[in-house]
Amino acid sequence: MTYSDAISLLPLIIVGVASLLVLLAGPFCHVRVVTVIGAAAALAAGFCAAAVSPVNSAGLPGLAFTPLARYLIPVFCVAAALSLLLSHGYNLRHEIRGEEYPATVIFCLFALCVLPCATNMLTLFLALEAVAFSFYVLVAMDLGRAESAEAGLKYLLVGAVAAAVTAFGLALIYAGTGTLALGALTAPAGFHSILAAGWGFVIIGIAFKLSLVPAHLWTPDVYQGAPAPVAGLLSTTSKFAGAAFLLMLLAFAPPRAELHLPLYVLSLLSMGLGNLAALRQTNLKRMLAYSSIAHMGYLTLALLTGTRDGYSAVLLYGAIYTVMNLAAFGAISSLSANGERSSIADFAGLGFSAPLRGGVLAVAMLSLAGIPPTAGFIGKFFVFYSAIRGGEIVLAVIGILFAAISAYFYLRVVVQLYMRPVGAHLPKPCSRAESFALICSSLAIVVIGIFPTPLLRLVESALSHS
Amino acid sequence: MEATLFYILALVTLVGTGFAITARQAVRAIVYLVNSFFALALIFYLLGAPLVAAFEVIIYAGAIMVLFLFVIMMLDLGHPERMKSPRLVDWIPALVLVLVTAASVAVLAMEHHAQPLAAFSGISVRQFSQALFTRYGVAVELVSLQLLFALVGAIYLGRRR
Repeated sequence: MTYSDAISLLPLIIVGVASLLVLLAGPFCHVRVVTVIGAAAALAAGFCAAAVSPVNSAGLPGLAFTPLARYLIPVFCVAAALSLLLSHGYNLRHEIRGEEYPATVIFCLFALCVLPCATNMLTLFLALEAVAFSFYVLVAMDLGRAESAEAGLKYLLVGAVAAAVTAFGLALIYAGTGTLALGALTAPAGFHSILAAGWGFVIIGIAFKLSLVPAHLWTPDVYQGAPAPVAGLLSTTSKFAGAAFLLMLLAFAPPRAELHLPLYVLSLLSMGLGNLAALRQTNLKRMLAYSSIAHMGYLTLALLTGTRDGYSAVLLYGAIYTVMNLAAFGAISSLSANGERSSIADFAGLGFSAPLRGGVLAVAMLSLAGIPPTAGFIGKFFVFYSAIRGGEIVLAVIGILFAAISAYFYLRVVVQLYMRPVGAHLPKPCSRAESFALICSSLAIVVIGIFPTPLLRLVESALSHS
Repeated sequence: MEATLFYILALVTLVGTGFAITARQAVRAIVYLVNSFFALALIFYLLGAPLVAAFEVIIYAGAIMVLFLFVIMMLDLGHPERMKSPRLVDWIPALVLVLVTAASVAVLAMEHHAQPLAAFSGISVRQFSQALFTRYGVAVELVSLQLLFALVGAIYLGRRR
């Protein structure tokens, strides 16, 4: 490992060291200091990744700072830093004490940063599982609420099965190709069916991770039980990481013909069931869970086309979805007092009694619905555009129809916020860290929506070499 | 000779695992599973991977299963009520899985023409560790960090009363 290798892997080193530092400094410092260290390290790693120019040569065996990594690492870093800022106040109110929470978030970020740098399947799989692993702990972090433990157990059981299935699929792909290196995944003749079987298992495993129908049953319960900032991080980074995992494998000679049908069905069912089930929810977190199922359906639609347009739509949509959902869950977590404010009726009139947070929640809802001046519109536009260009016209039309239906349940929240009398439970004032994080995420939603060109250019450069 | 041994060991593994998942008592299930791990270890040995065979015995049969036994004994849940035998509906997922597996085996058997593998000599401990700590060194580091945080998480969640 030379000096330049170390420079190119600096983001990983920063977050890896920061996670240990947070753990070690925890007993001696106030949790506020530790959280600031974590958030600062995450931002530093993000800047570092954005500044370093990507190299395609392996820095270490199994790791290389690829163009894809240069795009994904800053997104993950910003998401982790924002959710650390958002969770500080929430954790104080919910008595989630100690340095374990920030340390686990930073470790999760470390695994997220390793994932796009992986150059062999083993590192790729381990990174994905390390992400899931830290979420098993984070989801159950709230010792005061029984639902949190229940959600942690549910996520652990489902995640373990999904990990086993994915590992089995990767083993079959290895058996078919004879190599773990991602760059050399082409099957010799005669091994096609074993490779297709391996891909089938990988798709099943990733369907669990992305909570695509019919592997979605864990999602509403886990989102409802998990602390709101954790649910925000879980619904954004872990989903985006799962999509990136699939994207990195898909870049290397997949059995395209066999994969089309399963992905088609998964996308269709997720868009349909996610949007229709969300119509009937009275709990905001469960509604967002079903909405995330639907959004992952849109993502799969873009992935399914197999074109460069489709892949860039996936990267774009992943980043936009990250910002939108972080804003939504951030507003929920900041509005929650000792308990969770999760019933939609509890948000009545909050647009007036808590203008900033109500406004951010409304912007996030409008963006999730895909209303034009917001980022959500740009994301949906490119997903459906790439689907139509890629020849999936029927599925794209179905998707657009479901997206139109989805406006109903998103706008219902906005109606609650601004057109209902103020409810009894007024939220506590918003801390500075929370307002900063909320303002950042909602600004990002609006700026990307009005001026998407820089993000589009970044997406283009992320796909330039791979 | 090797083929006969392999089939005997494979049978022991399958039967042992089958008993492990149908046993009504946890301790019995663990003993059956240990049994099948030993047979699996010998299969690895036959394949020319003595190190993996040793790991299988030391880590799986030795450490993990003994840990399971300890946990079961420490918790001492008494005699858990006998599970009801599964209803007909509960068999459906298992049947689907069996069908999928059978179909995949059939597809593979129809397409694949068995090719004898190139002569394969066992891998020495030195070669194994070199590959593990150079080519897959990053993976080892990642796993060790993950174990550390698993420990931290377990201690934190253990505070729940």
